[in-house]
Amino acid sequence: MKKTVKKEALIALIENLMKDHEVVSPVETAGKGVFYRKIDKAKDVYLGPAFAVEPVKKFFLHPSEWICGCNKEEGTASPCPVPADDKKRVIFGVRPCEARGLVLLDKIFAPDDPAGYQDTSYIDNRSRSVIVGLACSVPDRTCFCVSLDGSPVETRGMDAVLFDMGDNFIVEILTEKGKSILGSLPGTIDAGSEKALEAAKEKTKKLVVKTVKAPDSLDASFKSDYWKKVSLSCLSCGVCTYLCPTCHCFDLVEEERKKLRCYDGCAFPDFTLETSGENPRPTKKERYRQRVFHKFDYFKKNFGENLCVGCGRCIRFCPVKIDISEVAAGAPIK
Amino acid sequence: MIEEIRQKAKELLAASKVDMVIGYRRSGDGVSTVPAFIDSAQDVDSLVWDQNCVYNLANYLREFPGKKIGVVAKGCDARAIVVLLQENQLERENLFIIGVECGVTDISEKCAACPRTVSAICDILIKEKGRKSGAPGNEKDAYAAVEALEARRAEERLGLWREEFSRCIRCYACRQVCPMCYCPKCVADQTMPAWFSKATSLEGNFAWNVTRAFHLAGRCVDCGECERACPVGIPLRDLNKKLEKEAKELYKYEAGSSVEAKPLFASYDKDDPKDFIK
Ligand code: SF4
Ligand code: SF4
Ligand code: SF4
Ligand code: SF4
Repeated sequence: MKKTVKKEALIALIENLMKDHEVVSPVETAGKGVFYRKIDKAKDVYLGPAFAVEPVKKFFLHPSEWICGCNKEEGTASPCPVPADDKKRVIFGVRPCEARGLVLLDKIFAPDDPAGYQDTSYIDNRSRSVIVGLACSVPDRTCFCVSLDGSPVETRGMDAVLFDMGDNFIVEILTEKGKSILGSLPGTIDAGSEKALEAAKEKTKKLVVKTVKAPDSLDASFKSDYWKKVSLSCLSCGVCTYLCPTCHCFDLVEEERKKLRCYDGCAFPDFTLETSGENPRPTKKERYRQRVFHKFDYFKKNFGENLCVGCGRCIRFCPVKIDISEVAAGAPIK
Repeated sequence: MIEEIRQKAKELLAASKVDMVIGYRRSGDGVSTVPAFIDSAQDVDSLVWDQNCVYNLANYLREFPGKKIGVVAKGCDARAIVVLLQENQLERENLFIIGVECGVTDISEKCAACPRTVSAICDILIKEKGRKSGAPGNEKDAYAAVEALEARRAEERLGLWREEFSRCIRCYACRQVCPMCYCPKCVADQTMPAWFSKATSLEGNFAWNVTRAFHLAGRCVDCGECERACPVGIPLRDLNKKLEKEAKELYKYEAGSSVEAKPLFASYDKDDPKDFIK
């Protein structure tokens, strides 16, 4: 179901939603970029062309999540329940690549097979959230979603989506959840707008200029010196993994009787350091290779698709501009 | 300039005077540059030099122990090399420093107040044509941002840094990109004991950024790389510049100006104006 909606009407709806929902949206922070925030003023919602630095992932896999704890007692210990956050939540402005990132994360933390590992906090975060996506209008030069079965206007993983048509948004409701939030918006769509939307979609898709042909399997390149060469400049930092909408590795940390699940990443030397002192991925070569293999090989073998959605974040923010699309495409597989 | 850089690199590699030359090459986007690690004379033509050569290549030098390395060094990169030499992290005889004179304000904001646009240390200096050699930046501008911060009330400053640090994602890119951050086990990575929270909480983020700033007092050469690398735009240079200013005012110490100088953290003066140390 689609309808043409005035931008002010959407803001009014958000204002209203805030009464009984947590509302999250991209917010512009002067000189620093765009960041997802829990908002308390509807006018702070930013639905412009700039991308959020951090992907929406952090609302589902919190960077430092309190997963269990124990009470402080004399001579005994008892588990301390983690306060549950069950308020209904609506997240606006989620881009197609980020939404698809969630679909991929579902395969790990909320698989269809009930016998598979079910991550309760991830599942709770998913089920209490309604995702109102925003189709991209100005892809960045680092975006390459189109090469990875995505597109700047795709809607997988969204409950509803907004298309910016200048003065208005065209709202498309995709699921029951989406309807429950945006169903009350007044408006219809006429044939002319419908046509304009299709034309705009085609046009935007063509704006994604970066293309990559990742090999089906990277197996044959595993032992190649190529991985040493491409990782020479890597700094072993956490930028590419923390900002990736699909990276999901973590470390368990204990602080003041709390157990926290904190982001961790394969680029850090300590990530694979064992207590014995042995490190199976001792150099940047093994660590960076792992990242590329996880994205473009292992995950595909296990789950049928790449673990990269082509959002371009790791290219945009890598302090030394390592380009994973070039690296994957250039891997020597013969 | 680039021809001279390539020529020198070719010469060094061909004569096996170095095993590798670290410089800059064009990235896939056709505009930016990326660090280049060149180990054969045939490949030197991929070297480039322009205002996109932001990286401080001194950061890579410690990764090749025992190897002879040629490195393209701007003024700020060379200051970092000086500090690393002072701190016994590099062997001078294993380095061939190709100093490049860069044009003031060409590369980034930091350049406007660069104290020394010419390498403080080098084996050959490649000059930019038509530029007055070694013109320093404007000393007054150097601390304008720090002074503006100093002029504010303490609570205001706290609020400001709270706001900034609340965005820190603890990716440690600031540390990894910094030539001076080479501790084999960073305090942030220690677990037994853990010195401060690993969580991305305001508390842990404050502890991280403040600890790092203090460990760079008298060592930071203001190459600006940490601030550039920070994905969430925290003005890390303001912190470092404040400590740089203190070191200058209190001890007349400037990081990276002389290999012979005793590192600030390693010096003790019995005439220290403060008596806490006695
Ligand atoms: S962001 Fe770049 S430098 Fe940092 S770990 Fe990833 S590839 Fe390496
Ligand atoms: S690997 Fe890079 S481009 Fe791919 S989804 Fe992650 S951050 Fe985006
Ligand atoms: S602290 Fe920042 S500016 Fe100072 S030397 Fe390190 S990276 Fe360069
Ligand atoms: S680079 Fe920025 S976000 Fe990353 S740890 Fe340093 S200050 Fe925090």
